[in-house]
Amino acid sequence: MTAPPLALTVNGQRRSLADVPDSERLLDTIRWRLGLKGTKEGCRSGECGACTVLVDGISTLSCLTLAHEVDGTSLTTIEGVANDPVGRAVVNAFAEAGALQCGYCTPGFVLALVGLLKERGPATPSQELLEDLGGNLCRCTGYLSIARAVAKLSAEGP
Amino acid sequence: MIGARRPDTQPKLDGSAVFGTDLEAPGMLWAALVPAPIAHGHIRSVDLGPARSLEGVVAVGAADLPALLPGATGDPDRPLFPTETVFYRNQPLAAVAAPTRELARQAARTVRVEIDPLPVVSDLETVFPEWPGPAADSSPHVAAHVRAREGDVEAIFHRAETVVRETYRTSSVHQVALEPHACLAEVRDGQWRVRTSTQSPFGAREDTASLLGVPEESVVVDGTWVGGGFGGKGSALLEPYALVLAKASGRPVKLALSYREEFLLGRTTLPSVIRMETAVSGGRIVARRVRLLLDVGNSLPGRDFATGYSIGFLLGPYRTPAFEVEGYAVRTNKPPFGPHRAPFAPQCAFVVESHLDHVAREAGLDPIEFRAAHLWKDGDSTPLGQPVGAFGLASVFERARTIAARWRAEAGPDHGVGVAAGFWSTNSGAGGEVRLLLAPSGVTVVQGEREIGSGSVLGGVAAVAARCTGVPRERVTVTYEDTAHAPFDSGVYGSRTTAALGRAVEEAARALFAEIAQRLGTSEPVSLRVADGEIVAVSGTRWRPVRELLTESERAAGGIVTTGRHYGKGGAIDERRVEVGAFYPYTDFTGAAHAVEVAVDRGTGTVRVVRYAAVHDIGTLIDPATALPQIEGGVAMGLGTALTEEALWSEDGRLLNAGLLDYRIPTLGSVPPIEATFVDGFAGAGPFGAKGLGEPPIIPVAAAVALAVRDATGAHVTELPLSSERVARALKLL
Repeated sequence: MTAPPLALTVNGQRRSLADVPDSERLLDTIRWRLGLKGTKEGCRSGECGACTVLVDGISTLSCLTLAHEVDGTSLTTIEGVANDPVGRAVVNAFAEAGALQCGYCTPGFVLALVGLLKERGPATPSQELLEDLGGNLCRCTGYLSIARAVAKLSAEGP
Repeated sequence: MIGARRPDTQPKLDGSAVFGTDLEAPGMLWAALVPAPIAHGHIRSVDLGPARSLEGVVAVGAADLPALLPGATGDPDRPLFPTETVFYRNQPLAAVAAPTRELARQAARTVRVEIDPLPVVSDLETVFPEWPGPAADSSPHVAAHVRAREGDVEAIFHRAETVVRETYRTSSVHQVALEPHACLAEVRDGQWRVRTSTQSPFGAREDTASLLGVPEESVVVDGTWVGGGFGGKGSALLEPYALVLAKASGRPVKLALSYREEFLLGRTTLPSVIRMETAVSGGRIVARRVRLLLDVGNSLPGRDFATGYSIGFLLGPYRTPAFEVEGYAVRTNKPPFGPHRAPFAPQCAFVVESHLDHVAREAGLDPIEFRAAHLWKDGDSTPLGQPVGAFGLASVFERARTIAARWRAEAGPDHGVGVAAGFWSTNSGAGGEVRLLLAPSGVTVVQGEREIGSGSVLGGVAAVAARCTGVPRERVTVTYEDTAHAPFDSGVYGSRTTAALGRAVEEAARALFAEIAQRLGTSEPVSLRVADGEIVAVSGTRWRPVRELLTESERAAGGIVTTGRHYGKGGAIDERRVEVGAFYPYTDFTGAAHAVEVAVDRGTGTVRVVRYAAVHDIGTLIDPATALPQIEGGVAMGLGTALTEEALWSEDGRLLNAGLLDYRIPTLGSVPPIEATFVDGFAGAGPFGAKGLGEPPIIPVAAAVALAVRDATGAHVTELPLSSERVARALKLL
């Protein structure tokens, strides 16, 4: 069963995708149709946050979203996150704080944080940001370096 | 503190790092495994017909292997697919491949399996409700049996002033690397090629060749970025299945586990029961008796390494003039036991520290002073007779104890403070080789490991190369080659990489300087430095740009190449003390002591960790940017083992909590600030006296937390994890 073509803006570029099955998850569309493998597949069930992307600026678990739900929207993935100032600031904060180890959860954390900052604004206290990042799991860092990256953003503003 | 950027920052922040799950090839098929539906039984039939009738589906079962692997016997003890008996639930019975992942999974579900059930043994305590007697050695449930002793323990116990006997239980813990196992296989030109997410490309090669029964050199393993290992990605798991499907289909085949399968098929630490007995007279330990029953799942008889290695952690790190130690590896109908960061050492530290704390209280002694007085000191030997060498454990304990005392003085009601010691062995004895290439503009270390996130390859090895050659770090590159091209290395495990590969780099650097000295025509020391943007070799008043030292062929190859290898010696134990089985010596002793403050909810038994301090004996700090994060991450993982992580197995061998909602790892906000400090001056066997740091930080955590809970509430919890429920029971709330 297939639906009409999907029209999306992906990291600023317009894309049209034909023959996307109704049941296809946005995660699989991004990874296997668009070839953007920076969006990571972890649990595929909304428990780890590794697949987080932005849909019209809102952080979204792509594993729990059907591709056709986001028809006509603008998607941002890790490959395009540094195209805007908020995304660039978050990426730089992660780099400077060394807020990654194996790197598998990193794109999800970056996108979730960018989404929060876009939603709440740069003056959001870091404690509030950290609480709302609670849905993203990391096994390597103990989250402390990630908290330092968040603190950096909160102090400096994106 | 963290000045330099991690060298793996860029590809992990722009999405370009390719992990095992990301692998893709033109025309590839997706694979799925057909899981055994029960945990023990006689196989009557595995019918692949329905799967094969689906268009585009290729299916492989035991009956197909002789044609796919002509002349190969594989490993008779570890068949890819069992033909007679299923030993654990979800054991692969067949494998299928299809053009889409959905179709592959659908095809796997159509396979008709008929199995006659046999009794399932899921809990080791149903095998041995009492301590095993002499008949146990012939039991099909005993995979290994070890025993050692020194002194007349029975007589000493009989005469002792205080004797304390306790039983402890530890839980099954999973690595929970965020990236599930995944690989992509291709068979071409007689080569079995597999790209895979692995902590050990050469280990995966050896294991894959053995499982397939093909020559090792016909297998080529090419590692990807690794989305967390923690011991779970050290040997072959999926590779042989993907390869036989690639052979059968003539296409590249991708096999990636779902996260649920990651829990179900991963090799993890399994439960244990530990009996501790300690005799004290005159305030001193006079004898100890230690007994371990370790669940090893479907590990094979005679191949169990876990027991003889792990049991040493129950004997240390305290002076014991007389001891008796005995352990059994117990086979159950679960997947084989596998290593989990510092395999079984955190569990042992929890038991040893909790027990000796309890012993001191029973004997009317100060618990911390009692442990401090018995700690192995620099130059001591273990009860098994192995010298500990340069060992900073007493120093780190002293420092952690001071922090704990300060926190104790500040702690409010329902708050408690614990301090615990632990030790580890940097496995620098395992072999490793590198090639070092000196070019006019920089130095490259060519080697065979991928960075798993600990920083040991791209951070540790690079830092050693910079320090050995004098070439600035920004001009040092560590590159990776597959197993057909790279110098051999045994793997990123055992906290060994910076130490062992670092020693190989040291040797390659020595060879390089000898070569340069010869070309400069000097017998004086040579150094390298950067001048006018290029590297120059200097000796006394002579100097030449490296560019001018190269031969014609070296100019084509890019520079001067030397090689270095490190095959260090492990330590030795006193074999006269061993009565049964094999005990394993450690390599390079490293100590850790941690202090923790907790707050315990008196109504629910919930433990909150308030602050944490970790003090480590690391020999020499090599790469600060990656060292401190190892402590933070290791402590966090240890808090999971301490408080929430427990894989639950049903009586019929089913893993009940195979998902991240039900198997709880620490989440953001549950990890407190960590004050990390290093004690140096106790040189290890690594370069510049370095010791490993990947595993030690997880070791004392559960012990420190348990002692803090006891300090806060008086609750003496003898099982891991210290879940709210267990603490509540200990507080008689339930």
